Amino acid sequence: MEFATHTWIQAAAYSSAGIAIGFGAIGAAIGEGHTASCATLAVARNPGKAGEILKTMLVGQAIAESSSIFALVIAMLLLFSNFSAESYLTVATVFSAGLCMGLGAIGSGIGSGFSAGAACTGIARQPAYSSRVMTNMLIGSAVCQTPAIFSLVTSFILLFTNFSARPVSPTWAALLGAGLSTGLAAIGPGLGGGYVAEASCEGGARNPLTTPSVINVMLLGQAVTQTTAIYGFLVSCILMFKSFPATDSIAVPILLLSSGLCMGFGAIGPGIGVGVSGQGAVRWIARNPNAAADITRTMLIGMATAQSTGIYALVVALVMIFVM
Amino acid sequence: MEQVRLTQKKYCSRAMVFAVFGGLFFILLDLKPFGKGLILGSIFSIINFILMGESITLKIGASKKRSAMLSLLTIFSRYVILAIPLIISLKFKQFDFMAVVIGIFMIQIAILSEPAFNLLSKFKS
Repeated sequence: MEFATHTWIQAAAYSSAGIAIGFGAIGAAIGEGHTASCATLAVARNPGKAGEILKTMLVGQAIAESSSIFALVIAMLLLFSNFSAESYLTVATVFSAGLCMGLGAIGSGIGSGFSAGAACTGIARQPAYSSRVMTNMLIGSAVCQTPAIFSLVTSFILLFTNFSARPVSPTWAALLGAGLSTGLAAIGPGLGGGYVAEASCEGGARNPLTTPSVINVMLLGQAVTQTTAIYGFLVSCILMFKSFPATDSIAVPILLLSSGLCMGFGAIGPGIGVGVSGQGAVRWIARNPNAAADITRTMLIGMATAQSTGIYALVVALVMIFVM
Repeated sequence: MEQVRLTQKKYCSRAMVFAVFGGLFFILLDLKPFGKGLILGSIFSIINFILMGESITLKIGASKKRSAMLSLLTIFSRYVILAIPLIISLKFKQFDFMAVVIGIFMIQIAILSEPAFNLLSKFKS
């Protein structure tokens, strides 16, 4: 049975929309569930502040949900747009866009939920400083959304760029690799950023006077956490915008696809590891602000070491693209 | 729940003000589809936020597993609501798609505008 190009594109768009929304819902749901669970604990601890805690939970959940709304936007575009049927490459672009956004929304949704949960618990502990804790949570949660924004941007580039002038092989693999690179690479930094923000909200509530320095270290920690997401985005951009000569061999497309997979998977661990390192530092700065300089230095050294495996993945991915 | 209602009222009214002024601004600049899209997206963003608040009573008091399941269910139902303006903008040229996308994040913009404004004023002072 033979199918026209248009049919393949439609099939890819529909399945990709399902993947985008399906994966996109996982992170936000876990994040929101975690927030609700922490809010329950907080209300049990301090029933008198139930209103304030519910308010924080609602606002935190609204932010945590952003990443899944990004996925919804891409899914709707995939379902209701008329894609050009000039080339089979469109099959790869639409599939890659959905995959990228779906995977990219997981980490950010969960990460934002962590900080919202910690804010609810913190407000139960220190109701007098609820506005500080809320501000802390909002900043932390907003930064957690960065990897999901990278995925959204990559998906938009894939959907709105005309690749039809390029050879089908190996460009199809480069485009799939691009989606996988940013999508997978967003998972770790999203989660890692959430760990740092969680510790910041917890620390700010434990010792409210340290809130400004805790927020500064949180932002520093989160910025380092996002580095591997940037590596993933970088590899995606190279795979999308570099022209590869036409080939009949299967080896070259697999190599390009593997470079995206290499960077994507390679960024998950360092993103989480760096986040765990930042979480420890922020937590202890709140408990012992006098040691902030030493703790920050230790955190940065620890982060640099945790980051190294992400750099290995970046180097191998670049070797696959440029050297092999 | 009173405090939740007050929070909803605060952010919904702020989002509506942003949407109306932003929409009017673009309509006056002769970018009607953009202005209309912004307002349409914002309306659905507000509806989504209100429903989010209403679902809180279901989640509170539930176990972690149950609250995660309830979240998944409410997310999917609210997805359907947020999909409506996106589908409208993809089907009708009177509404700009990108403006609708910005509009459905109007509540998040309203929430994050507060700390952003505070930070800016701190930097200035």
